[in-house]
Order: sequence, then structure tokens, then C-alpha cells
Amino acid sequence: MASRAGKRKGTPLNNQRQFIKNNSWIELAARWIIGLTFIYASLHKIISPADFAKIVYGYGLFPEVFINLIAIVIPFLELIAGLALIIGVYPRSAAMIINALLLAFVTVLAINLIRGHEFDCGCFSAGQSGYASSSEVTLVRDIIYLIFGMQIVLFEGNRRNCFGRIIAK
Amino acid sequence: MVIQKTIKEIIILVAVSVALALVVNTFSPRGIALVGQWDVAKGVITASPAGDAAGRPEEIDSVARAKDLFDKADVLFVDARSQNHYENGHIPGAVSLPVGQFEERIEFFLNRYPPAQPIVTYCSGRTCEDSHDLAQLLSGLGFTNVRIFIDGFPGWEAEGYPVE
Repeated sequence: MASRAGKRKGTPLNNQRQFIKNNSWIELAARWIIGLTFIYASLHKIISPADFAKIVYGYGLFPEVFINLIAIVIPFLELIAGLALIIGVYPRSAAMIINALLLAFVTVLAINLIRGHEFDCGCFSAGQSGYASSSEVTLVRDIIYLIFGMQIVLFEGNRRNCFGRIIAK
Repeated sequence: MVIQKTIKEIIILVAVSVALALVVNTFSPRGIALVGQWDVAKGVITASPAGDAAGRPEEIDSVARAKDLFDKADVLFVDARSQNHYENGHIPGAVSLPVGQFEERIEFFLNRYPPAQPIVTYCSGRTCEDSHDLAQLLSGLGFTNVRIFIDGFPGWEAEGYPVE
């Protein structure tokens, strides 16, 4: 008993961290935000896999035989994990998949930023310039998503369904 | 075990994604081959290599051959890149016809050049398919003598040939 009481008394910072970590509304918001983002991001890749394959090629990091498979599978992984997050099917596992994807994106972007590799084939017709220069923005955005994603994974309370109703474990 | 449950769930989600991806890719008209052509030494990179070989415009895969054609006065070089790229430097005498603005600009082109006009399209080299798309579009409109210079402007410039 004594030890449990001791545990409950934390420093204010610890309490705040606990509040964020186990707040079911923050968890639900994180699921909606990441879920919608990933579904949205998956759609144009699903619609034009050839264009996405070229982007994958452009990163200059993947073996030639795997480029098409990556371009075919990744968008559906984003779509299914995004849907699972929002609906609340296997949310923790879906968030782990999303976090793994985000980690991969961050790694790929960081490697290319560090080595100064920019792929601009000049193939992008009107209105798509500036695509290469936004790597930094994308990197920061992905890290923010990753923080949300971690909250979903670490969350220990009862989760809410997509309409906000608590579902018992 | 929580870990085992999580692993099982992840496997299910990944399996569903992979299965769905392969099915959609197989039946979608925009689906791509499982393995693409991503080796620039072998030619232009593309996610869906040579499906329809018949009726495809001929590729010119050496800069020297492109130069031979360039030296023939009647061959028209057509730049498939954006207007911006064209203005920053192009093969002398080339006409700009960005593939992204094809519909707006094709009428002007049709009024100026007859179907028998020998045409060589180019873009930004082997990492770029725009010259292929443009050649396909022009062939579709009845141009009978369309070829693609696959090394494009970078290949031309690297050989030290004149640019304007």
C-alpha cells in the first residue's frame, strides 16, 4: 500500500506528462489527425503509382528491384493503418505501423538532406516546382506526427471510439 | 501476452494492406509492373517497362545520332519540358511544347507543321518520361515521323553541343 501511495505522488512535471499520456481525448484527436493525414496522403499515390515509384526512385536509396513493390504497397499500408486508427481497430498496432513509416520517412529525408541529394528530374510540369525544397518542412511535420503517434502507442487507459464514446477494454 | 497480441495485429494489418495493394494494382488500369526499369544505363527509367512495343515511337539512345539528325535542316526538335526549363536553355531551334500544357498549345503547333514533319522530342534525359509522353501524343495526332532523344537536354549539353 505504502509504495502505491508513493507512486501516485509525482512531481508536477510528471503529473503533466501522465495527463497527456493517458488523456483519452488527446489520444482520439491524435488518431483522427494522423488517420486523416495518412488516408489523404495515400490517395494520390494509389491513383498514380507510376509517379510515386519515380519519387521512390528519386530518393536514390532503394534497390531497383524493390522500387515498384515499395510504391505499390506503402500507400495501402498508409490507407489501412489510417482507417484502422480512426475506426479504432487495433489502434495501438496501427499506430506502431504508422510510427514505423514515419521513422522511415524521417530517415530517408534526413539522409538526403545531409548528403545534399536533390532529385529534380525536370519532369514535373507546371505548378509542381519547389517540391525538392520542402524536405525540411516535411521532416519537421513528420516528427510532429511521430510525437502524436507515440502518444497513441503509450496510451494506457480506455480508448474512445471514433465518435468519442469510451469503449471498455 | 500483450506483445504477441500486438505482433498478431500488425501482421493482420500488413497482410490486408499487401493483399489489397496487389489486387488493386493488378486490376487498376493505372497499375504498374512488379519490377520497373530503373537502370539509366539500360535506357529511360520507367515504372512500367515496354508494355506496348509495337507502334511506339523510336528511341534515339546516343547523343551523336541526335546530333546527326540535328544537322539535317528539316528535322524539328521539340522540347517537352516546362517553359521555364526551355527558357533557361534548350537545343538551338527547338520548339517548346510542354507536355503539361499540350492541350493549350497543340493547335498552334498543328497549324505550323504538317503530319510528315520529322520530329525529335526530348526532355531532361533518362530520368524523364515527358519526351515519351509527348511523342505518343504527337503520334496519336497523326505525326508519322516522331522519334525520342532519350538523353535529352542534359546529354546534349554534356557533349558540349551548342545551346541557346
